[in-house]
Amino acid sequence: MTVTTPPVVDAGPDTPTAGATLRVVVVNGSPSRQSKTLGLVDVVLDTLGRMLPVEASQVDVYRLGPGFTGALERDDVTPDVDAMLRLAEDADLLIAAAPVYRGSYPGMFKHFFDLIDQYALANKLVLLAATGGGEHHALVLEHAMRPLFAFFQALTVPVAIFASAGDFDGVTLLNPRVYGRIEMGLTDVVDLLTSRATGVRATADS
Amino acid sequence: MAFEIGIMTFGEVTEDPTTGRLPSPRQRVRETIEQAKVADEAGLDVFGVGEHHRSDFVGSAPTILLAAVAEATERIRLTSSVTVLGSEDPVRVWQQFATIDLLSHGRAEIIAGRGSYTESFPLFGYDLQDYADLFREKLDLLLKIREQNPLTWSGHFRAPLVDADIAPRADGDTIPIWVGVGGSAASAISTGRLGLPMAMALLLGPLTFHEQTIELYRASAEQAGHDTRALPVSINTHGYVGRTSQQARDVMYPYFAKGMAENNHQRGRGVRLPRTFFDAQASPGSGLLAGSSQEVVDKLLAYHELYGISRAIIQMGFGGMPQKEHLEAIERLGTEVAPVVRQEVATRQEVAA
Repeated sequence: MTVTTPPVVDAGPDTPTAGATLRVVVVNGSPSRQSKTLGLVDVVLDTLGRMLPVEASQVDVYRLGPGFTGALERDDVTPDVDAMLRLAEDADLLIAAAPVYRGSYPGMFKHFFDLIDQYALANKLVLLAATGGGEHHALVLEHAMRPLFAFFQALTVPVAIFASAGDFDGVTLLNPRVYGRIEMGLTDVVDLLTSRATGVRATADS
Repeated sequence: MAFEIGIMTFGEVTEDPTTGRLPSPRQRVRETIEQAKVADEAGLDVFGVGEHHRSDFVGSAPTILLAAVAEATERIRLTSSVTVLGSEDPVRVWQQFATIDLLSHGRAEIIAGRGSYTESFPLFGYDLQDYADLFREKLDLLLKIREQNPLTWSGHFRAPLVDADIAPRADGDTIPIWVGVGGSAASAISTGRLGLPMAMALLLGPLTFHEQTIELYRASAEQAGHDTRALPVSINTHGYVGRTSQQARDVMYPYFAKGMAENNHQRGRGVRLPRTFFDAQASPGSGLLAGSSQEVVDKLLAYHELYGISRAIIQMGFGGMPQKEHLEAIERLGTEVAPVVRQEVATRQEVAA
């Protein structure tokens, strides 16, 4: 089933205190329970959390079950799956994260977006992240993922994030160059993120 | 750090491509001991045996070969190259190497690696899914065993140790433990964080191929508070020292090509290395240590300058190089290459100091 994590990531001494919380939804295209893709996303969320208050949820497309895989159209999905689709449609920032499978994002990942409303992602901030067996997969971000969100007329973050298997120890990202790229990619759009945040501001004791 | 030069073998049991003859495992274990003996007599610093669990290698149990080598040699250091630690019991690894250390009066070393071949995992009942976690945990245990005895320790992949007496201890104070790194950024970073010596396995490609690996290793070591100047880095790579440039290439090529065809598969089939590609690898800008004594000296010095290495271990018998040619190359490496490189590096260090 889908995992929706409770509001997380803020705190830290330099966390901004003013402003609303950014509601981030991760659409995770990895079939593995523990994955490099989520290892990469963890670093993105951690970096985001140091920039502004963040509330993160996650949709694991491989755990949505037959109510998702058996649906040919949006009308076919079960209510719990519909809730997940709406969660993604309503996000302040969508993180589209997938491993490279047979040269592209996995079919389940695409199936999720095939069920998303055609205009629901228009002008929505989308951060692209992918992992692959080697550097030769890096352009999956630009040649497969970005065009998908171009169809939706989404506002993709200019810097997309890629990490290779060799950058990880197990599922822990170690390569500082990837950390640097995440920092840069998010810094580019931090003002935009702040202005797009619609979540209820976290209280001091939450 | 004095520069060290050594050789390593996987104990290949490979059909000779020029005669079609397949050596027997019995012959290959004897030849392996003889290689070490010649290396020792030629003044080389290190002898390594790699671990592979297949019929085309006799190196499934490197510690047993190293124990035999310990008896046949006087000065040369004895190392695994590598110990596939993820599928081993670190307690047993320590016991075996400590025994070799006693047999050899303190000459044992360990290169702990994840392993580029995966046969050992199903053989010993490990799940390849745990590849990274197994190595991390077992390396932690091996280091703890080296550090203290008795030891209390617990982890995920084996029964806990409670006040366990792990014997014997090393002959001297300790046994050097290196980490074998194949060039991935994460391996280099975790090795640097632990402040352990790094043994980099190079295959083919430009001389500069691993600059980033070295950079990440030193940067993460420094960040973790280790003295990077005290951290040795070695390269383990293929090569052959010939009588002349041409002879080296002519002798090495058919065997190396055969070894690569049997071990480097694409689309499930061996790829035959064209001679032109091989010759390019042996050129000055590329990493292969094949050539005359002078060429190999020059390339080792180039590696030293580029990567700041203090040790090179060369594999000269890959693909079933016949014993006669192999021993000749070991002799040349020990008597013509090593003294010049050691002297030159010592001079460079004096100038720098």
